[in-house]
Amino acid sequence: MMKGDRKYILMFLLPAAAFLTIFLYYPFFKSLYLSFFRTSGFYSKTFVGFDNYSRMFSDDLLGAATLHTLELMLYVIVFQVGIALLLAILVDNIKWGKGFFRMVFFFPVVISGTAIALLFVLFYNFQFGLLNTILQDMGFNKVNWLSESMALKAIAIPTVWHYVGFYFVLFLTAMSKIPSDFYEAAKLEGISGFKKTFLLTIPLILSDIKVVITLAITGTLKVFEFIFVLSRGQNGTEVLGTYIYKKALVDQNFGYGSTIAIYIVVFGVVLSLLANRLLKRDEITY
Amino acid sequence: MKKSALTLLSLLLVMTMFLAACGNNGGSNNNSGSTNTPSSAPEESTEPSKAPEPVELRVFSTFGGTDAAREAFQKAIDEFTAANPHVKVKNDTMSANDDGFRTKVNTDMTSGNEPDLLFYFIGTDATEIINSGKVVAMDEILDADAEWKNGFAPAALESVRTADGKIYAIPLTGYYEGLFVNKKLFEENGVELPTDWEKFKAAVSAFKAKGIIPLSGPFDQSHYLIEHFVLAAAGAEGQAKGLKDGIDPNWEKGLAAMKEVYDLGAFPEDAATIDLGMAGNYYSEGLAAMILEGSWAIGGWSEETKANTTVLPFPAIPGGVGTGKDVVGGFGSGFYMSKAAYDDAAKKDATIALLKHLTNPASIKSIATANGGTPAAAGVQPEGLPQAALDGFKMVSEATSINSPIDSKVTPETFSTIRANIQPVVTGKKTPKEALEEAMAIETAAK
Repeated sequence: MMKGDRKYILMFLLPAAAFLTIFLYYPFFKSLYLSFFRTSGFYSKTFVGFDNYSRMFSDDLLGAATLHTLELMLYVIVFQVGIALLLAILVDNIKWGKGFFRMVFFFPVVISGTAIALLFVLFYNFQFGLLNTILQDMGFNKVNWLSESMALKAIAIPTVWHYVGFYFVLFLTAMSKIPSDFYEAAKLEGISGFKKTFLLTIPLILSDIKVVITLAITGTLKVFEFIFVLSRGQNGTEVLGTYIYKKALVDQNFGYGSTIAIYIVVFGVVLSLLANRLLKRDEITY
Repeated sequence: MKKSALTLLSLLLVMTMFLAACGNNGGSNNNSGSTNTPSSAPEESTEPSKAPEPVELRVFSTFGGTDAAREAFQKAIDEFTAANPHVKVKNDTMSANDDGFRTKVNTDMTSGNEPDLLFYFIGTDATEIINSGKVVAMDEILDADAEWKNGFAPAALESVRTADGKIYAIPLTGYYEGLFVNKKLFEENGVELPTDWEKFKAAVSAFKAKGIIPLSGPFDQSHYLIEHFVLAAAGAEGQAKGLKDGIDPNWEKGLAAMKEVYDLGAFPEDAATIDLGMAGNYYSEGLAAMILEGSWAIGGWSEETKANTTVLPFPAIPGGVGTGKDVVGGFGSGFYMSKAAYDDAAKKDATIALLKHLTNPASIKSIATANGGTPAAAGVQPEGLPQAALDGFKMVSEATSINSPIDSKVTPETFSTIRANIQPVVTGKKTPKEALEEAMAIETAAK
């Protein structure tokens, strides 16, 4: 490194550092600070020590929201990552039209989550939704797709669908980076089809799978719009994202809202660490 | 050469990002009022005639989006700017149905971004804003202009007076809530109008059997359900107390009655997951026979439903102390003038002039005509209202009490605790007592 470079390095790092400080670290520490207060809207706050934290541990709704988030996370990891991987393997194996499929599968990522959620409101609506109209036309009874037993699963579908394309592109890029001599060697050994996929492709992109699973876990903690638009958190669909919104912004209880924010951060970090530990393998370099 | 160009470019990029970040934080539809429409409208303001300094005022209100009075409000502002070309009015709006509206107002008020005129709720929502001195009491300004003050119906001004005896919010139009019923559906199915509790239950059962939604109401945005069931059981006094002296046993009866009609199949199959808009949609499309709503909702329904609608007070629940003629209504919101505008010599007069214009009898009349509300001005009769709105005025005039809704009596968190418990209560997972005790605990903690 040349001596003069230091100046430029600092200059280029500064904006990002300033952004992170203003929009990430400052709010985080402010939340930590606020979590020790009982707030009344924006105007007054009183120090309450660990009251908010003790309330948090006895809050049934928060417990339920955590469980629902975990359930959604399971669907996301299994289906979102799973389908993305499957599609990536399929597309990687075709000779032409890769670009077309990449665009088609990536497209939902570009659409706003709220718009997709509104679309699914029209699918699931009990009175005149698309699904129930089809059922009625075929002579079946109408189904309440967002009933207590089905709501979370029904909402998991658009949630999964929305981001499949993103992980698909990540996987596809990872696969294209695998040097072709590996495949040539495999071909000489007579390995093809499933065997090639499971013994060669997947092990070689394992580090990417790990990254994607971490992204999926942290992404699920942020799910908000699908729940809020489709079910308003009712019928066993309240997740951490909607619960914190209700507590902090609807109830104007910023103190307790901040406490939940801290909880979500800790929960997210623990989950990501756990996922990293479980998926620990030697890094492959090629 | 190339390097410095790159540096410049990245600096430019960073600056743009800063600009973007610092830019409009309104997020809502900002329709700036028309600025310099040349017009021969007579000077009607109190502005001095010698070329005044140009000022820009920001009015933040709920008259936007799908609000029935959006155009009437914009027109009133346009009239003002036409007569006062030096004043530019920024008409900043957000939907009142949105919980985000309160947040936006509170953020603005605490971050030094107060609008000059704020159209906001009266009651608990405004208490903190008033206590923090961010808005000014209007009594002196009212007293100084007898013509303006006398334009209001005395009862309207009285109803916006706060506990400290001062008036902070200038009323515009009032509202009422009630049980809106689709007369045509009642006639076609040979069902009697729900004028008492037994008839109400009979109507619920009859419509349920016919496959028509009896009462369209969402469980999450259950404001109107809670307001009416509690009022019909606890009566005016019991409701007005809030949870101050503990839980009124009649409140439990109200929630129990909600479970009773739920068991009869009163609510839509998907009541838990729909929002207020969808519930209104079911009623508007003729899929539901009854809905608990406010006077502002009439304008949004289909022409056919509107023509067939009448409004009744929610029937008294047996065993409670409601009269069956208790109505939720009043003047729920009004214009606040921010302290910042009051202290700003350049803005003060223009803001007051604009406020006077927006609340003069003519403006009140046109807005009341648009949103079907009760005009706050004396002797003003909105024109061309649908029969349902006239029935509503009649209902209010015959009411034994006119009550402000429950969410103005308890803290927001307490109210949303009750809201969150509606589904568990009607499905029997919690008893009304348990639900209210939970709300009570929140209310106590918030004190």
